Parts: sequence; structure tokens; C-alpha cells
Amino acid sequence: MKHSFIDEYSDLDSLIHRLDPRVKLVTLVASLLFIISTRPTSFVTFVLYGILIFILIGLSKIPIGFIFKRSLVIIPFVLIIAIFIPFFKKGQVAGSYSFGSVHLTVTYEGLMVFWNVLVKAYLSILCMILLATSTKFSNLLKAFENMKCPKLMTMILSFMHRYIYVLVDEMMRMKRAKDSRTVGGKRWFHVKALSHMVGVLFIRAYERGERVYLAMCSRGFSGQIRTLQDFKLNKTDFCFLLTMAMLLIAIRTIRR
Amino acid sequence: MHIPDGFLTVNAWVPAWLISIGGIGYCLRKATLTLKDRMIPLMGVMSAFVFAAQMLNFPIAGGTSGHLLGGVLAVVLLGPYARAIVITVVLIVQCFIFQDGGLTTLGANILNMSIVGAMGGYLIYNPIRSVLGGQKGIIVGIAIAAWASVVLASCACAVELAISGTSPLRVVLPVMVVSHMLIGIGEAIITSFIIGFILKVRPDLIYKI
Repeated sequence: MKHSFIDEYSDLDSLIHRLDPRVKLVTLVASLLFIISTRPTSFVTFVLYGILIFILIGLSKIPIGFIFKRSLVIIPFVLIIAIFIPFFKKGQVAGSYSFGSVHLTVTYEGLMVFWNVLVKAYLSILCMILLATSTKFSNLLKAFENMKCPKLMTMILSFMHRYIYVLVDEMMRMKRAKDSRTVGGKRWFHVKALSHMVGVLFIRAYERGERVYLAMCSRGFSGQIRTLQDFKLNKTDFCFLLTMAMLLIAIRTIRR
Repeated sequence: MHIPDGFLTVNAWVPAWLISIGGIGYCLRKATLTLKDRMIPLMGVMSAFVFAAQMLNFPIAGGTSGHLLGGVLAVVLLGPYARAIVITVVLIVQCFIFQDGGLTTLGANILNMSIVGAMGGYLIYNPIRSVLGGQKGIIVGIAIAAWASVVLASCACAVELAISGTSPLRVVLPVMVVSHMLIGIGEAIITSFIIGFILKVRPDLIYKI
């Protein structure tokens, strides 16, 4: 099975792809901090941040439709948390509705908070998607490590990233086998069968973990993972960092 | 329940990050003591397992379906410290690869699901298991702990949203807790089925205290 949706565009060749992952990570964190600390009423600022993100997406040569599609998948999860906000904030009433015995009142203050969290969440999601689609996960992990993230954590992360595909494949195969053999039947039966499937998956995963460890031991693993490649910052990286810093600050200082 | 970026203000996400870093650092040290260098591949594969298990949809009432969260499941199988690491790793991957949950709020998500959910679940599971004893103790303990861990995590999430002023506590707490009390029932049923199965097939894999 293919899970190309994860790393599909990470080997394109563009300005964004060639940047040092550390630079991308720092820029991402800075952009997120700027976005989430913007006042909810500065609409122009949000628009400018949006334009900046779309320019970066354009530079990265990743199809914009792909990024939109990915961002739309996440929106429902954001809405689940946000949906009740406009109804419960006290303030000037914008409109009220009643469904049977339930009275819902939407206030301007509530709508403001709603807009605030939604726009910030969406812009941040776009930034994160750009990072995820323009950077290989292994490079990202190496960047974490270079930035003093505990090595234990990054090693576990890289193992997980390696085995996600294997185990998801395994689970899908088991699910397909179950689906093709069980048509109809009571819901309880299905829940139980699926639970047992997870149990089997756990045992297989656990045993695989042990086997992988033994295989590593027999190849001389001593608790340390060594890699050959190191990152080097070049001129483009510095220019990008400087430009982004200036743009972010410039957008913030525009008053409207 | 993954909180996206923008939902929390600085006075909520910065402390959450600090607590999470401290907590996970402690768990890493504790887990390394017991697992030594076996830990790296095992934790990696186990994280991938939790991730894969979360992708599986279980049919619930009507046409809807839900998925396992796996918090307490991992506690029983791996012990509380290793479990906190596994869930943290899953959350980091979900954040960076799938944009599920924000980066600034990642600390809060780790705090809710990995620390509050796991430790709460473990503290509930362990006494029940030792009082009732045997397989029955494990299953009953697991069901109650699985339910409680989901509810506890939603409480923590509600408190963080309230601190940020996103919505008042007296509103967000009941909404979150009541909805997760329902989600927790599903979690409890599925988790106890899975543990029941593993008890039958490989009882040696259940974590011994």
C-alpha cells in the first residue's frame, strides 16, 4: 500500500526545499508566535500574513490545491472545539435563535473570539503544512537534534516514523481480511472482532520491536545512533531568515 | 481534542510547555532505567502501533464511528512512564506530519493527554487492580481507568481554554466533560476487550508493577 500523501512533495527542488531545516523550523516558530499574538481586530495584518504564506507556498512549487485539501481535512477538528464559543460569551447580542426549549444567543464578543481563534488556527495550519510538505521528516528530526532536543526522543521519533508505514499497512490488511469475511452481523460482534484485531496488532508490534532490537544489537548498536551528514548554513539561509524576520516585523507594525 | 494554534494565550501555553517538558524529561529518565537501550526500538514501534490503532474506526450507535485513543491501553502494556513517552511521540508526529493540534499548543496537548490522562488513568487502575486482584481486577480497573483518563484529559483541556479566555470555565467545562463522558464509555469498552484478548493470548506482556 502507498502512503504517499505524507511525503509526496518533499523531494521537489525549490528555494523552500533547499533551505536548512533548522532555518525553516525557526522561521515557523517565529511566524506562529507573530500570528497568534496579533490582536483580533487587526484584519489587515491577518490578510498580509495570509499573503506572505501564499507567496512562500508559491516559492515552494507545491500545488496550492494540495495544500488547500490538506488544510480542509483539519478544519472540522478545529470547528468541533470552536463551535460553541460564539454562543456563550456575554456581551452585545448579535442575534438569538430558539430551537424548541433551547435558546441560543450569539454575541458580538463571542463572534470576535470565534473569528480570532479560527483565523489564527487556519494560518498556523497553513504554515505547518508548508513545513511538513517541504521537508523530509528525517531531516526535520536531525534539525531537532541539532537544536538540543534530547537524542532519546528524536531516535524514538525516527523509529516511529519508520514503522508507522509498516504497522498501518499491517492493520489495513487485517481490516480488509476481516471486512471481506464478515458481512452484516451485530455491532457488538464487529466491535469485539476489531478489538481483538488491535490486540493481535499489539502483539505483533511488540514482537517486531524485540526483533528490531536484537537485529540492531547484532550489528553493534550500543545505544548511540551515528549519522554522517551534517547541516551547513549558507547565504540563502541567512537571506531567507533576515527577509522573513523583516517581513514579519513590518507586517506587525502596519497599523490599521 | 487536539487544541489547534491560536486557541490558547501565552499565559496558558507557556506554563503547559514547561510542565510537559519537565514531566516528559522525568518519564524519559525513569523509563531508561528499566528498559535501558532496548527502549529506543521498542518505544518507536509501540508509538507506531498506537498511531495505527487510532486509525481504526469502530462502529458506534447509528452510522457514526469513533476511534480508540489508546491512553490507558498503553499504560497496562508498557507501564506509566514508557506510556507517557509513547503518547508524546504520537502527538509530536500528529502535530508535525498531520497538523493535528498546533505547535504552540503542543505542550498543552502533551500535558492533557500524555501526563494528566496517563498518570490519572494509572493512579486509578493500579489500586483497583490490586484490590480486586486477578484477571477481573485488571479488566475492571482498565475499564474505569480508560473512562477516567478521557474525562480527566478533557477537564485539563477545558481549564486551559478557560485560562486563555477562549470561553468561560462554567460553560466549557460541562460541555467538554459531558461529551467526553460519552466518548469515554466507548474507550472503556474497547480497551477492556483488547486487554481481555491479550490476557488470553499473551498474559506475559501485561505490565507488572
